[in-house]
Amino acid sequence: MPDLAVEWLGRVPYAEALELQKKRVEARRTGVCGDVLLLLEHPPVITLGRSARPENLLTPVATLRERGVEVHEVARGGDVTWHGPGQLVGYLVLDLEARGERDVHAHLRRIEAILIHALAGLGVPTGRRVGMTGVFVEPSEPPRKIASIGVGLRGWVTCHGFALNVAHDPRGFVDIVPCGLHGVVMTSVREERGNADEASALLRKARDRVAESARRQLASASAIG
Amino acid sequence: MPREVNMPKLSDTMEEGTINVWRKSEGEAIERGDILVEIETDKADMEFEAYMSGTLAKILVRAGETVAVGTPIAVVRLPRDSDEDLTSFLAERGGQPVSAAAPVAAAPAAGAGQAAATSAPQPGRSGPSGPAPAVKSAAAPPPASAPASVAVPAAAITPTSKIPFFAPDPDRVRATPRARTLARERGVDLSEIGGTGPDGAVLVPDVERYLESLEEGESLLEGDVPITPVAARIADEMKIDVQRVKGTGPGGRITKRDLRAHLDALERGEGDREAGLFGDAIKLSQKRKALIRNMVKSKEEAPHFYIAMDVDVEPLRTLRERLKADGKGITYTHLILKACALALERFPDVNATFRDDKIVRFIQVNVAVAVDVQGELVAPVVKDCQGRSIEDLAKEADALIGRAREKKLSLNDYADGTFTISNLGMLGVDHFYAIITPPQSTVLSVSAMRRLPVAEGDQIRVGYRMDFGLACDHRVLDGAKAAEFLGEIRKLLESPADLLKNGEGA
Repeated sequence: MPDLAVEWLGRVPYAEALELQKKRVEARRTGVCGDVLLLLEHPPVITLGRSARPENLLTPVATLRERGVEVHEVARGGDVTWHGPGQLVGYLVLDLEARGERDVHAHLRRIEAILIHALAGLGVPTGRRVGMTGVFVEPSEPPRKIASIGVGLRGWVTCHGFALNVAHDPRGFVDIVPCGLHGVVMTSVREERGNADEASALLRKARDRVAESARRQLASASAIG
Repeated sequence: MPREVNMPKLSDTMEEGTINVWRKSEGEAIERGDILVEIETDKADMEFEAYMSGTLAKILVRAGETVAVGTPIAVVRLPRDSDEDLTSFLAERGGQPVSAAAPVAAAPAAGAGQAAATSAPQPGRSGPSGPAPAVKSAAAPPPASAPASVAVPAAAITPTSKIPFFAPDPDRVRATPRARTLARERGVDLSEIGGTGPDGAVLVPDVERYLESLEEGESLLEGDVPITPVAARIADEMKIDVQRVKGTGPGGRITKRDLRAHLDALERGEGDREAGLFGDAIKLSQKRKALIRNMVKSKEEAPHFYIAMDVDVEPLRTLRERLKADGKGITYTHLILKACALALERFPDVNATFRDDKIVRFIQVNVAVAVDVQGELVAPVVKDCQGRSIEDLAKEADALIGRAREKKLSLNDYADGTFTISNLGMLGVDHFYAIITPPQSTVLSVSAMRRLPVAEGDQIRVGYRMDFGLACDHRVLDGAKAAEFLGEIRKLLESPADLLKNGEGA
């Protein structure tokens, strides 16, 4: 089973991160490097996935740009989402074929498992919701979403991954209907823990938990099912 | 012969996919490896690559539309395809119900007339273009001097009715002895090849080119069943389930000959039955396949050792009777579940796994309860058992088992177990051991309650005993630790009052 390298890149502008990811995908495809998880933060940016509906962007693009929020269209599944400081973004570049796991849905479930385990370690109980890819706080009604997931495939090499809200500015999401899901509230690790943590320390803690959880999840096959 | 590109299957559970964006337009040249189209399923977006070079001749499913896995989404014209190849290929598919493809269908149809008008009779081709079935013997023999390089083997068969599909019989196909030998060696069905020799005889270069064309058109993502293009088309038109056909062609591909043998067998009423030793094959569910993979992996990687203890279950029996009388729905399963949860909490080294040359403890205590549902083994997981009351655990376990019986478990319901309880007691098993489910490192096997003569002081009387077995991964724990852990479970079950206390209890 191939090992997983984990790299922390710090705060990287969206376009730059995309370019970097593209290079890593190509390198993985040609076998130059192994599987990797890139962990990073973005400056404020709104991204539109391939199935984004325009009505889920609530503020005009020009207004957003004036406020320093970039808007990008990207080749990933899913609708619209926001990234910004305090949010832990993970780009997971895996060769599913090399792992003998040609199953993109299993890959999505695995990303959820990585985050659920990491969050348990941070004292935030979370789980999955049927029919809604992502990670949700358990129990919660209406659903409180803590992480968004969307992946891309080039051949059987994966890209994109997840965005875990650790201690982001909650106003980031006001300009959009996150993932096109009405009635879903976005939350964060900091909020769930009672807003007592210092943001940057919590982000580091979350980063380390996620890295550890990803290494574990990707070191051996998952359980039955 | 032009190729169809089908909606790829990106996951075991994927049934349909949506075309997001066509990156190439009709008429555009494509190279193997170019991104042809973006496909979306759930939250995954795939950049689907061309697995052959040629021209994107026709888009069958437009952006924004959703179709089932395996549905043709485009037609690619290979470099060797003539205009008439494309025309007849598209014409055959004319009546195919493809979503909203009508507007795009007009263009190639218009091109078809032009192609027929401009393409002079080509040397090396088997006969006149058009709907006439180009069965070799029926066609005008091509000039013997025909340059071999122009021949397009697979294109020689353009059936329009179902009968000629299987003509000619491969044994009757004209071929040189060397070509016949080569075909036999490589599993090639001669009737799939258009020969370029005298009277349409198949020559060695024809077989070689045919084999080459198979390689060239090889799909990376389409289905799992290897099949030759000719056989694929016939199977498609005749609605033959290729999953049930045994392939004997090059690389195990299903050939026309295999389809014929399959149909003959069906006609003789033999169904799927193979000759000799093997009876009917049972198709396995994805879940079963996953289970098999996991069990094999477990036995290969985890060195199992086993211990067992006889537990005096008289106190447990008394307690259970009392709870029953009180109308509490607490069963033996619940009591054992609670005992295991408590023991695991007290023995974090058992609630652990072996990874990367390290023993790693699980954060949660997640107990899987193996259940047989109409012959299918499922093990739903009661998660996060630490500090929970028995009523709470019982409620969740019952809900999970209920969902299991209704076959309504979600993936999450059986993911992330850290320990498993397997109970065959109700089936009268007196003693057994189970196989560990990776990445767990222990599994408890619970057997039937037995009435036994037991010594008490100097008296023999009837007592109640149950055998509890534990299979352990020796990488994670040793015999002494395992014995302590199983001893803890025994202690909890033999003085079960603690099990009813809330939370950790003591």
